[in-house]
Amino acid sequence: MSRRYVGEWVTRNEDQRLLTGHALFVDDVRLEGMLHVAFVRSDHAHAVLRGVDASAARARPGVVAVYTAEDLGDYWQPGPLLVPPPPIDGIVFNLATQVPLAKDRLRHVGEPIAMVVAESRYLAEDALADVVVDAEPLEPVTDLERALEPDAPVIHPQLGTNLAAHVVQRHGDYEEAKSRADLVLSRRFHYDRGASAAIENRAVAARWDGQAQELTIWDTTQAPIPIRNGLAGMLGLMQSQVRVVAPFVGGGFGPKIMMFYPEEVLVPWAAMRLGRPVKWTEDRQENFFATTQERGQVHDAEIALSRDGRILGVRDSFLHDTGAYDPYGLTVPINSQCTLLGPYDVPAYDAEFRAVFTNRTTVTPVRGAGRQHGVFVMERLLDFAARELGMDAAEIRRVNYLVQDDFPHDHKILFQDFQPLVYDSGNYRPALEKALELIRWEGFPEEKRRAREEGRRLGVGVVSYVEGTGIGPYEGARVTIEPSGRVRVATGLGTQGQGHYTAFAQIVAEALDVDVARVGVVTGDTREFNWGTGTFASRGAVVAGSACHAAAQAVRAKVLGVAARVLNVPEGEVELWDGHARVRAEPQRSLPYGELAMRANPLRGGVSPGTEPGLEATAYFGPDRGSTASGVHAVVVEVDAETAMAKFLRYVVVHDCGKLINPVLVEGQVQGGVAHGIGNAFFEKLHYDESGQLQNASFMDYLLPTALDVPEVSMAHRETPAPMNPLGLKGVGEAGCIPTGAAFAQAVEDALSDLSIEIREIPLSPNRLFELLREAPAPSSQGTAP
Amino acid sequence: MIVDGEYTFPAPRQTVWTLLQDPDVLVKAMPGAKHLTSTGDGAYEGVIRIGVGPVTAAEWSLTVLLSDRTPPESYTMQVDSKGTLGFTRGNAKVELLDEAGSTRMRYRADLQVGGKVAGVGQRLLDQVAKMMTKQGLEALSREMKTRLAEDQEAAPA
Repeated sequence: MSRRYVGEWVTRNEDQRLLTGHALFVDDVRLEGMLHVAFVRSDHAHAVLRGVDASAARARPGVVAVYTAEDLGDYWQPGPLLVPPPPIDGIVFNLATQVPLAKDRLRHVGEPIAMVVAESRYLAEDALADVVVDAEPLEPVTDLERALEPDAPVIHPQLGTNLAAHVVQRHGDYEEAKSRADLVLSRRFHYDRGASAAIENRAVAARWDGQAQELTIWDTTQAPIPIRNGLAGMLGLMQSQVRVVAPFVGGGFGPKIMMFYPEEVLVPWAAMRLGRPVKWTEDRQENFFATTQERGQVHDAEIALSRDGRILGVRDSFLHDTGAYDPYGLTVPINSQCTLLGPYDVPAYDAEFRAVFTNRTTVTPVRGAGRQHGVFVMERLLDFAARELGMDAAEIRRVNYLVQDDFPHDHKILFQDFQPLVYDSGNYRPALEKALELIRWEGFPEEKRRAREEGRRLGVGVVSYVEGTGIGPYEGARVTIEPSGRVRVATGLGTQGQGHYTAFAQIVAEALDVDVARVGVVTGDTREFNWGTGTFASRGAVVAGSACHAAAQAVRAKVLGVAARVLNVPEGEVELWDGHARVRAEPQRSLPYGELAMRANPLRGGVSPGTEPGLEATAYFGPDRGSTASGVHAVVVEVDAETAMAKFLRYVVVHDCGKLINPVLVEGQVQGGVAHGIGNAFFEKLHYDESGQLQNASFMDYLLPTALDVPEVSMAHRETPAPMNPLGLKGVGEAGCIPTGAAFAQAVEDALSDLSIEIREIPLSPNRLFELLREAPAPSSQGTAP
Repeated sequence: MIVDGEYTFPAPRQTVWTLLQDPDVLVKAMPGAKHLTSTGDGAYEGVIRIGVGPVTAAEWSLTVLLSDRTPPESYTMQVDSKGTLGFTRGNAKVELLDEAGSTRMRYRADLQVGGKVAGVGQRLLDQVAKMMTKQGLEALSREMKTRLAEDQEAAPA
């Protein structure tokens, strides 16, 4: 009987290196003769760039080179479109991608204008002051509705419009549904921008080895293989001449899947041109201006329901702020549009969005990737409807859930992976009941009443969501048993703290029956594995994990074959046990894997024709489409109606990510996601003024929640196996943050139920909540006043 | 950001008007301004030292342009400064009202701040702008008093 590793609580293989300071991060790369980079960036949100005079900077001692757009020659090219628009009828998509250095227009504050390369970062930063930028400000485009007016200034003159995309998706007949409805509610919702705020900023280092004719790039990217392929193409090198290493990375959260950032294109080019290693590490302020951001949508939504609370149809039309450029296509707004449907049976859906260019930093996915916007709209509509219908917030969800017989459920619209939005599996109602139990829903009115007697306001919220995860196209893995008996696993995606070194090791350890600590995983080094796409869309465990499983199964077959030959028994009589192959009936006849690995790779003697040497296999996995994770969040908050401060008292997540590989990793992802979600709900907001200037570009003013603000999440797992992959896995990376804003809004309203406020915007903040409280009508009866 | 207000100078309107066109006086109305020279027809160039909160004081280039001049009643003042940490652009409408020997100045400035300084100093900018305006006007008033006193001393008995 072989040992179980998948699904077990296994401590993380990577932690020893991380906790003892032996993990390499890009900024740790220090090479002899290394040069350092600083960028001259735009102070203007929108301007004509008349000229850049770098002569004084070039003359400064210690400065090795200063590059402007002109100096790049043919290397100056707009970046690629990363995700083409899905094939939806009538779609409009206008492409404008970022450029390495601004040439004649400045389109957002922080856009790079010139690159200074110097002997030290200090010298490079000093030289920034010597570069004279001649810019003539233009009227900035910051309001989404104003941007689409015919007389609005146009950010990309070649497009003649600020419209980046227009997409309509429909199923059913919403008008007909509305005509039958007992209740129709419409509201406007705002969801504003936030930063990903990874602890490690972006960084790129590059070394050109002229003797080996080889370029090595260390990059904080989530997609090392596409970075290698792209840069090789741009630099005129063979892919095999370029090695990209994404070592340990201190948080990805989406912006690090964006490519190619200007800095990423310029640093390797400068290293080749100058023949010396070059490094740039983003500082926190640059991160606020130049690393992609997310959110910024305005929804006009309407829901039609029957008297018993059943959804007849939903209409949603929204504007999406894509920022200055749209290299990531429509992933974020399509996610919003699709995820709005949630776990519910929505017979008619009429959905439309317009993506709009603005003079703000470019928008690409950040953890949740637009899903939270859709969830917020739907969950809020249900809350308002429940109130109108006199229903319990849990009950209105319960009656609208898709049920077991509905799966697979086709929503008849397209998802971000261009596949129909089909839910593969799910079981929503038990998750809701479990969440209600854990949050103590039934006893809550009494708890609330008692707290009120003490002058405290408590509120509860419960919301549901689904999350499309684990999309294709594919990932691969190579599994090797070395002569030491240790196992090595290599895969192409990058790792940013998720625990890949453990999760993948568990999958392989179980297939081969070997101690999980003897399985070493390497990710994010293109020399180790040649193929792959990257870490995004909560897909690492699902797609790369399935590839690891397939490769391990292939190695297992080889082990059995070699063992049968060496032990001289039929293959069916060999079993694997704790790093050994042995004869089932005579367990004392046993060979360790290391010896089998040597036997499979002999120095002399014959091997059978057609046999591959060694105990090694490579496999790939590409699902037809993603797998649908789901869950319920419930929260109890305490709100001080005078200061408008809210405290999270209890937080419950009941999550279904299919089969668990490792509960400790899943729980870490969920807890971290909730922290992110709480930040987005109540603390974090990027404040832009009407001229496109970011006003809180530092952690002095941009509030992150701290350990004091984030409660320990009480979790329960449900496992509805995904039918789309052999291990039944679904993704979990984004689950914690998707419905947090919606849960919070419901709970705050409940805590202030006598003040009849409606929360239709995220992020809130104590300030904003204070304003809402002041705008609220006076309490209906005097007895309920604080 | 709008900065507006009123200030009364203890001098006749024509005197105030004349002094406000003098770069040596104007430089005193801008705290941190190191020098200002006239480049003709209401235009001035100079250097100003600006620091806000966590943003270390640094030297910025400064241009001032006075336009729509209706002596001695009103003018528009465009002030631009830029440095490595960003830029400021201010457009101020200034009116001088004659009040029996003294002059009431009414001003309304629309101030834009951009770049790094906007990103980290925002919480303080409002206060800093108001404080700098107040300091500037007080300095201007002191300068006027000094000049008037000098003029009186120089005047024949």
